[in-house]
Amino acid sequence: MDAYYGDAEHHDGGSGHGIEASGVTRAFGTVPALQGVDLTVPYGQVTALVGPNGAGKTTLLLILATLLAPDAGRVTVAGHDLAAHPERARTAIGWMPDQFGVYDQLTVDEYLAFFADAYRLPPAEKSRRIRALLALVHLDEYLGRPVHVLSRGQKQRLGVARALIHRPRVLLLDEPASGLDPRSRVELRDLLRSLAADGVAVLVSSHVLSELEEIADRVVLVDRGRTVGAHAVADLAGTGRVRWRVRALDPDALDAALAGRPDAGEVVRLPAGAEVGPLTEPEAARMLTELVGAGVPVVGFGPASGALEAAYLAMTQDRR
Amino acid sequence: MISPHGVGLVARQEVRTRLRTGRWKALMTVWFLTVNGTALFFRLALEASISSRDASLHMFGGVLLGVLVLTMLVTPALTAQSINGDRERGTLAALQITRLSPADIAVGKLAAAWGTGLLVLALTLPCVALPVLEGAVGAGRAAVTLAVVALLIGVVCALAQAWSALVTRSITSVLLSYLTVFALLVGTPVLFALAVPLTSEKVTTSRHYAYDREHPDRVWWLLAPNPVVVLADAAPEVPARRLPVTRYDSRGRPYTELVRYNRRTDVLGELGREIRGLRAGGDRRSGDPERGGPVWPYGLAFNVLLAGGALWTTVRRLRTPVRTLPSGVRLA
Repeated sequence: MDAYYGDAEHHDGGSGHGIEASGVTRAFGTVPALQGVDLTVPYGQVTALVGPNGAGKTTLLLILATLLAPDAGRVTVAGHDLAAHPERARTAIGWMPDQFGVYDQLTVDEYLAFFADAYRLPPAEKSRRIRALLALVHLDEYLGRPVHVLSRGQKQRLGVARALIHRPRVLLLDEPASGLDPRSRVELRDLLRSLAADGVAVLVSSHVLSELEEIADRVVLVDRGRTVGAHAVADLAGTGRVRWRVRALDPDALDAALAGRPDAGEVVRLPAGAEVGPLTEPEAARMLTELVGAGVPVVGFGPASGALEAAYLAMTQDRR
Repeated sequence: MISPHGVGLVARQEVRTRLRTGRWKALMTVWFLTVNGTALFFRLALEASISSRDASLHMFGGVLLGVLVLTMLVTPALTAQSINGDRERGTLAALQITRLSPADIAVGKLAAAWGTGLLVLALTLPCVALPVLEGAVGAGRAAVTLAVVALLIGVVCALAQAWSALVTRSITSVLLSYLTVFALLVGTPVLFALAVPLTSEKVTTSRHYAYDREHPDRVWWLLAPNPVVVLADAAPEVPARRLPVTRYDSRGRPYTELVRYNRRTDVLGELGREIRGLRAGGDRRSGDPERGGPVWPYGLAFNVLLAGGALWTTVRRLRTPVRTLPSGVRLA
């Protein structure tokens, strides 16, 4: 991809962050969707928005995309107050909804050209930009082909290209990984990382927690319309107790060794090993040492779930 | 807020997506053949009963009336799903977050639909042009009547588009759009017919004699918004022909005089005279059309204002960020 920004218009408005939202509330009729969300999305980082269904993630993204007005609260995107100047923020925002339609009658490049015009990209730059974006989302062989021949995952990628057409400094993606095959997910991950490296503030909502852990620098947990936590992903690792998966060449020896240990917690037999825990990292390290010491041929020892998943499950625990 | 760039972009996009969906060419061909074929058939039927010159004139009035009613029935289909259809397909929100303004989107879509409507009208031109070429109708009369029809097509486009912006489900907005056209075409005369008896007054001519007199001149405006009335009344009158009549002077010698022969008119002219007569206050027989004054400026103004209000409503409903969201509307 060519340099993400043609000129140095990286930061503006004096605000240090791509998105700053505080005390955002929104109700639909009598049903509250957001009841006080605080959110900061810094430039140059990928922030994950995580929460159960109905937590208000999509509502929040609609507000950030300048489509929906909050009942209360203050939101600035790229330094522009959304209540006062939504139209100024729009040139800085790229948004991809969780479900969207494309103009099936157009070709792939006509589709992108239309949005390039809608954002008033200089005509000289347009076709170069479209080619660069199609290459970026690996759709370059579809240049000139109608949109309706694309698969669901390919349309999703076209949506990403559309969201990037005007070089937004703030990128909002609602469940971008849904419908993508594993390879496309890896590519999406790399794309978002490279955008963040170029200084874009990226906000991604998703359910695929293991993916987010690799993409995101920060994670914001929302539940029932409230922000319930904001963490750096690096800090999350090693906190809390998670289940651990042990793989051994001799599962029977492993079974025998685990049977004598009450601190192993609930032991579940797996095809080539067992799952134990929940344990903290120091506890797990001690157990590994002792298993190896007891002569169990351990070939694998690691957390059964990601740190993000653990944090997420801890947050939603009280719902059960 | 509104920019030629934005309007042009949206209009081109609409036309392009429209042209590539459905069977427009087939539909237009069917329309062209149906309208012109029916008109030709109508002409042949007229020729069988009246003179060729009068047939040509009557063809013009009849055809234009038919074209108006038919286009009024076709037009709602052009815009009745304009906004909520895009919402259902999930393509509207992506437009709203670009630099396109709500007015760009509304006017662009309306322009594309109106343009399509004008194309539909243009396909009827052969049968409208025939009486003009034959010299039965002046080019000015034809131009004015076509312009009125073109304007009314735009009005219906704007009304249907407003319904599509107001109502969540496209099937509902289609229904409401047709009901609106029905109200204008049929509702207004019904309302007028019901209102006339309410205007009746007792007129006492002598101690023993009194009668009820109705005052259509008080409710004529109920008919004014009717597209047929607007078209008929706006159509310039056919210039009176002067016919040579043989007369005899006091000494019994014959001489020829040109006499204005005013009754020569088509269905549009008759309707126009009738409506002016109603405005003049008389019943159908005693109302003097010359005294009534034109009705169409009121009707056309009403319709144009209605369309303006409809466009304003559409723009308002496209404005983001949305504060109040009607139940069932999905933004994206």
